Amino acid sequence: MRIRREIRARKALRDRIAYHGIGIGAAFFFLAPFAVSFLASFRPNSESGRPPLPPWPLSGLSFDAYRALDSFGSGIWQHMFNSLVVSIGTVVLTVAVSVLAGYGFSRYRFPFKNALFVLIIATLMIPFQSILTPLFIILARLGLNNSLLGLMLVYVTLQLPFSVFMMRNAFDAVPKEIEEAARIDGARDLRLLVRVLLPLVMPGIATVSIFAFLNAWNEFFAALVLLSSNDNYTLPVLMTAVRAGRLGAINWGAVEAGVAVMVVPCLFVFLLLQRYYMRGLMAGAVK
Amino acid sequence: MMTSSLTSTTRRSRLKRKSGWRGLVYIAPAMGLVTIFFVLPVLFTLWMSLHKWPLLGEPAWIGLRNYTRMFTDARFFNALGFTAHYTLIVTIAIFAVAFPLALFVEKQRPLVSLYRTIVFLPVVVGLASASLLWVWLANVDSGLFAPLFDMLGLTAGRINLLAKFDTAFMTIIVMVVWKIAGFTMIILLTGLQAIPTELTEAARIDGAGGWQRFRHLTLPLMRRTMALALILSVTGSILAFDQFYIMTSGGPQNKMISVVYYIFNQSFVSFNLGYGAALSIALLLILVTLSVVQLWLLKVGDERP
Amino acid sequence: MFTKLMAATALISASMISVASAETISMWVRSGIGDSFKEVVKAYNAAHENKVELTEVPFAELVQKYATAIAGGQAPDALSLDLIYTPAFAAAGQLEDLTDWAKALPYFNSLSPSHVKLGTYEDKIYGLPLTVETSIFAWNKDLYKKAGLDPEKAPATWEEITANAEKIRGLGGDTYGFYFSGGGCGGCMIFTFTPLTWGAGADILSADGKTATLDTPQMRKAVDIYRNMIAKDLVPAGAASDNGVNFLSFTNGKIGQQSLGAFAIGTLVTQHPEIDFGVTLIPGVDGKPSSFAGGDNFVVTKGTPKLADVKEFLEYTYSPEGQKIMAKYGSLPTRGDIANEVLEGLDPRLKVGLDAIAVAKTPYTLQFNDLINSANGPWATFTNAAIYGDDVDGAFADAQAEMQSIIDAGQ
Repeated sequence: MRIRREIRARKALRDRIAYHGIGIGAAFFFLAPFAVSFLASFRPNSESGRPPLPPWPLSGLSFDAYRALDSFGSGIWQHMFNSLVVSIGTVVLTVAVSVLAGYGFSRYRFPFKNALFVLIIATLMIPFQSILTPLFIILARLGLNNSLLGLMLVYVTLQLPFSVFMMRNAFDAVPKEIEEAARIDGARDLRLLVRVLLPLVMPGIATVSIFAFLNAWNEFFAALVLLSSNDNYTLPVLMTAVRAGRLGAINWGAVEAGVAVMVVPCLFVFLLLQRYYMRGLMAGAVK
Repeated sequence: MMTSSLTSTTRRSRLKRKSGWRGLVYIAPAMGLVTIFFVLPVLFTLWMSLHKWPLLGEPAWIGLRNYTRMFTDARFFNALGFTAHYTLIVTIAIFAVAFPLALFVEKQRPLVSLYRTIVFLPVVVGLASASLLWVWLANVDSGLFAPLFDMLGLTAGRINLLAKFDTAFMTIIVMVVWKIAGFTMIILLTGLQAIPTELTEAARIDGAGGWQRFRHLTLPLMRRTMALALILSVTGSILAFDQFYIMTSGGPQNKMISVVYYIFNQSFVSFNLGYGAALSIALLLILVTLSVVQLWLLKVGDERP
Repeated sequence: MFTKLMAATALISASMISVASAETISMWVRSGIGDSFKEVVKAYNAAHENKVELTEVPFAELVQKYATAIAGGQAPDALSLDLIYTPAFAAAGQLEDLTDWAKALPYFNSLSPSHVKLGTYEDKIYGLPLTVETSIFAWNKDLYKKAGLDPEKAPATWEEITANAEKIRGLGGDTYGFYFSGGGCGGCMIFTFTPLTWGAGADILSADGKTATLDTPQMRKAVDIYRNMIAKDLVPAGAASDNGVNFLSFTNGKIGQQSLGAFAIGTLVTQHPEIDFGVTLIPGVDGKPSSFAGGDNFVVTKGTPKLADVKEFLEYTYSPEGQKIMAKYGSLPTRGDIANEVLEGLDPRLKVGLDAIAVAKTPYTLQFNDLINSANGPWATFTNAAIYGDDVDGAFADAQAEMQSIIDAGQ
């Protein structure tokens, strides 16, 4: 009996070691590139051209790389500000538009409802890279080219299939009885939506927001083509200039610093709202 | 509820018509955006594809000539071939990593949510950031891999990973697996968690071993989820662009030109906008076909739950 | 009296005009060409009513962005355009005809001839030289000394360069004898590598630009010279995948010899004073030197309302003052008549860049981007495949065929 228990205990220990061994190995693989680049970004200029072995600064902490990054374009704060404006604007607009559309698709019947829904979802199938030239021309006609607002509207459109789908499901999940009860209490339409239903679909909104934020923050190609003046460049476009190097030499320190500046907000937002992100992903996967 | 079911049919139909109008108002902003920034550009692309459309100067109508040109364009077929090759390899690689990870993080164990989160982290950063990060890591002089391999004695001297097709391709595959595996893992995880525990318990009591349970219980029940994960991976890989553009500029020797890269080159480097548009339409058709297959796959999964 | 009055009125109206039209000229310049143009704009803005607003566009995206901006009606008033693109843009009818004004400039005949030639399309002038750039050969005198070579003796043949490279590589570690951007950088290679064949009388395109003439004994020999240096490990491994971002590796002080642009002289002198270097012309495979005349042409977007202001600015850059500022930051003088005066007091090595203009060539083709510059074009692919690949004959055959098919498709 005792021997048996001992064997079981030993097996449990072995299992635990194996489990954490694999876990730590996986964590290392997925975390190391971030860690190496982040640490290396604090190396002084004299070390930035050398391999990151070890990755941390050897002769004291230095912000040389960030200073070098700041010397590109209109300064890093300006570009960070642009990226923030575009990302937050995209979040606000995406939420507003997709809440309305999700509610409409969930609660109302109207002609061509299914066809219109499929049309919105169908935008997922088209690589938007291929329609960029017409997009540019249309934005120019609207006087919105080289503007952050124009870029925002494009991003909102790119977010719509996922967001409308999410919000329709969120509204579908709200029991009809709640709405009926509120209706009897005299709440109608927009007021009903804002006062009664909105709190109930908050998790859906959080999911939509975080996806909109991350995608707008990270998008590179549309920003590259649609923005044409230095002052408006978002971070990823700035990074092409950094990657292209200056005076025929690439400053890897500035690249590391730029990666850190672009990555840290994503990780922060994700870790903060992880629950909603995962829920959104899983809801999407189950449907 | 009761009252509404008791209302007369005339009243109900009037309500319906009224709500129909309202519903359209709610979806109007979304439809407006989709029309202006999606439907119009697509129609415009279709129109352009029927022209010889230089970026500078006047477009000229040439009918279907852009489409016939495609069939004799060796570079387009190379791009198709490479994209298919890449899609196949990267999908296998992602599944090979993501499936074990999903099994690994499925059970509630200490620290499991931490491991899950860490594996997922690269998913939330942009592909452009990830490519930039890895192009540095893969740089022969200032990066990590070549000096590390050299130091560990794995290679004789520093090897320039990005200089030869095989090693450059491998680097990109590893980068994409690093970036995407967490995503596929979560998708697969939802499928795993949807399997009722009673079923696995019953199988266990019946004496089915781990592999048997996986083969005869888990896999069949995962069909739908696997199909979804597969489709997401395939669609994403077919549209791959950033990693080739940023990490190897399509090199070495143009062996890494994906379809989207080729369209980009035709449209924005050679300025053959008409031909680029025709290629876009062709890509669109490929993706639509795949989507139809996707719906069919999911349906098949439905019939045999 | 009358003339005085006239002069006064003219003066007043002139000043009124300049007050009334304190315009902002929007202008684009590609990033990575050095600071000379930025500095001249700074000086101009400080001294004039009109202002030039400069936008730096990543060099790989400039042409695309400009073309898209024209399509969207949002192009800048003027542009510093890589001179090799001027024919294509002029042919597309997007540039302002500057012929009459240009020919009236008193120093028109002494403007850099290659630039004016490339700026001319069907006998009309659409582009004028803004920055002049030639390719030259540089060697690191310190490394020469360490390797036991005579630091003051410029190598005159590729045999000599290879032998020197071997001695420098002999210093060991991460010191290398030679460098070039071999990872499919069409622009870098046309700039530094074709002079090997030009000096020996061959070219990659026929004179009318309608036939690809890549496969010549001279080109074969040039490829062999580079292959040989790689086989002997005289070139850093990073060169094989460098698509141009590390074009100035010479500045890290561990490269013994490299073909560079004359602008690098300015960069080296101002940014890397620790590097002691010499410059000479790039030898051809048979020893006769040649060079690539590059740089930017100043072009004006067709229909800009600010034509007069743009001209005023260009005249400023041509003034001795403007020329002096440009030269100080590494651009060679565009005006031959005052070149010596402009270079006076500056680094004597800039003279080599100026001398190169006399032996320099520039290919004239409407398809420069597709043929040469595009990272995925036949020339860029060829340079990597022929120098690094296993199948040299195949590389020649493929590139020759693809170049010809691109030329034919463009007819």
